[in-house]
Amino acid sequence: MAEEEERKLQFAPFHSLADEGFWRRLCSLKLDTLGIDQSPIPITGFYAPCSHAQVSNHLTLLSESLPPECHEQSSLASTVIRGNRNRCPVPGILYNTNTSESFRTLDKQSLLKAEAKKIWDDIQSGKAEEESAVLSRFLLISFADLKKWTFHYWFAFPALVLDPPATLTDLRPASQCFSLEEAESLKAACNEWRSSTPTSDVPFFLVCIASNSHATISFLRDWEDCQSAYQKVLFGFYDPCHLPNHPGWPLRNFLALISSRWKVEKISFLCYREERGFPNLDISLVGEALVSVSQAWDDPQFIPKAVGWELNKGKKASRCITLANSMDPTRLAISAA
Amino acid sequence: MVLSQKLHEAFKGTVERITGPRTVSAFKEKGVLSITEFIIAGDNLVSKCPTWSWESGEQSKRKSYLPLEKQYLITRNVPCLRRAASVEEEYEAAGVKFFLTMKITMAETKLDEENLPSMETLYISKNKTIQSIPSYFGGEEEEDIPDIGDYNEPDNLIETDAASLQSTYLVAHEPDDDNILKTRTYDVSITYDKYYQTPRVWLTGYDESRMLLQPELVLEDVSQDHARKTVTIEDHPHLYGKHASVHPCRHGAVMKKIIDVLMSHGVEPQIQFVIFISVQHLHDTAIRLEIGSAVDVKDQLKQRDLMLRL
Repeated sequence: MAEEEERKLQFAPFHSLADEGFWRRLCSLKLDTLGIDQSPIPITGFYAPCSHAQVSNHLTLLSESLPPECHEQSSLASTVIRGNRNRCPVPGILYNTNTSESFRTLDKQSLLKAEAKKIWDDIQSGKAEEESAVLSRFLLISFADLKKWTFHYWFAFPALVLDPPATLTDLRPASQCFSLEEAESLKAACNEWRSSTPTSDVPFFLVCIASNSHATISFLRDWEDCQSAYQKVLFGFYDPCHLPNHPGWPLRNFLALISSRWKVEKISFLCYREERGFPNLDISLVGEALVSVSQAWDDPQFIPKAVGWELNKGKKASRCITLANSMDPTRLAISAA
Repeated sequence: MVLSQKLHEAFKGTVERITGPRTVSAFKEKGVLSITEFIIAGDNLVSKCPTWSWESGEQSKRKSYLPLEKQYLITRNVPCLRRAASVEEEYEAAGVKFFLTMKITMAETKLDEENLPSMETLYISKNKTIQSIPSYFGGEEEEDIPDIGDYNEPDNLIETDAASLQSTYLVAHEPDDDNILKTRTYDVSITYDKYYQTPRVWLTGYDESRMLLQPELVLEDVSQDHARKTVTIEDHPHLYGKHASVHPCRHGAVMKKIIDVLMSHGVEPQIQFVIFISVQHLHDTAIRLEIGSAVDVKDQLKQRDLMLRL
């Protein structure tokens, strides 16, 4: 990296994973509650920092991702939102269409734009500093073919596009960027952040390193205080990506927040990654990016361009899953015989 | 599913409904766990290996005898970098490291040569090759699925963005065919089996593009000597769908043997130990997963003072 003076900062896209329980719950929600109603449904996705050096983590949808059905609302309402260190909740929205035709003709650009606007508004209003998971807000469109137990779907992870793009001046394993004392202190601080209930599912944070090498981790809302009190402040986030040369997708909207709200142009960031559930500074990355956004960003009416539809095997295409084997009564009867 | 397995499931279900959960400890006598002991062992796993967490699972499948927020244990997105068929060299190379495991599996072998995993059975026949993987769950021979999955988006979606990294696969290292095959991932869960009164390990597989694997394909990752004997495909007690699981029928007996071995060495067996053994058992007998706990456990168990504390 050092020999390569400057390069464009590229982010590894977020990946989605929807488990069988999610589609099952969508089926019963559709049949029992929603009927032909096509209104968007608020959903919750879950993700965690990369925990194995070989694979990236993904945004996972489980059956709990869907809002509870009426009769279970009282008992479940509190458990839905709560995350833990292995599942940080991220807000999302689901547009489920009734026909394959309307699925195809959904205006994907405007839907993505609408979600990006929510992210932008949350950045501008300061909500993103209080509730940082809104920076990773996502979108899912689907068509559930209930007769065939087949689901067509497409995820989007809206990212505000920096204009001009951020330049990467340095990116290396975090272990090379700290002194031994700093590294030890940082690991201890990360461990504490990750294992205490109010912070374990907060995916964006500030890493503050004092002149005596003592590291502390703070909430984004403490930016003003940290900036003046500490020698070195890094912008940290739970990085789902495992690649050694690229930060993961969540950094994109984080950079937008940092540059538009706090006007920082030289941004030091920490891609926080774990191994076997503990911080690993060899696979975590520390980078420095130069971000200088155009004047337009100061205009209150301005909304940055957004990208983020997930590719399917490199193509711009939806995905499809069929649960006929486990849901179709005829097939179940045959396999039981 | 075979009929006998179906019948057994029905029988087991009925027994589970009419009998109460075990409340008195019979760990040392029978190698089985009470509900409280399962919770203690699970809490211990979660605190020592934080990639594991407790979950409450499907609302409709909650068990009243387990605490609402501690229905079962799960660790997600565990990479399985190699098919079982390619494991054998590694075991040969790692012979020394597997000392304790060996002891355990030897105890098992004595118990029941037929059904139980042993070190010997890990040596899989060399000529076993893995065929290509149909990737979509149940979708490989679908005749009537409309092909909108393949259909490329027209002008409605224009996205040119220099800052997106153009990589689409979960590739471990270099994107050659071999590696793509290897990067399946698994969700591993541990439930309490009320009938056998033991922990039970379940596997949910995903292919390299994160699509659900048919449970049958999970068996490719399981050594062929255990597929359909030790590892069977059944309904998950807390999640929807069929999942592969390490059948618990001999778990208690095996555990009892291990306890006896430990006690004969003057080591007091502790219940926290049990789930580690279950995970280790899965790891050594069935499937090569990079589970967080596996290595740590081995190291811990090798040191006797640590074992005493466990």
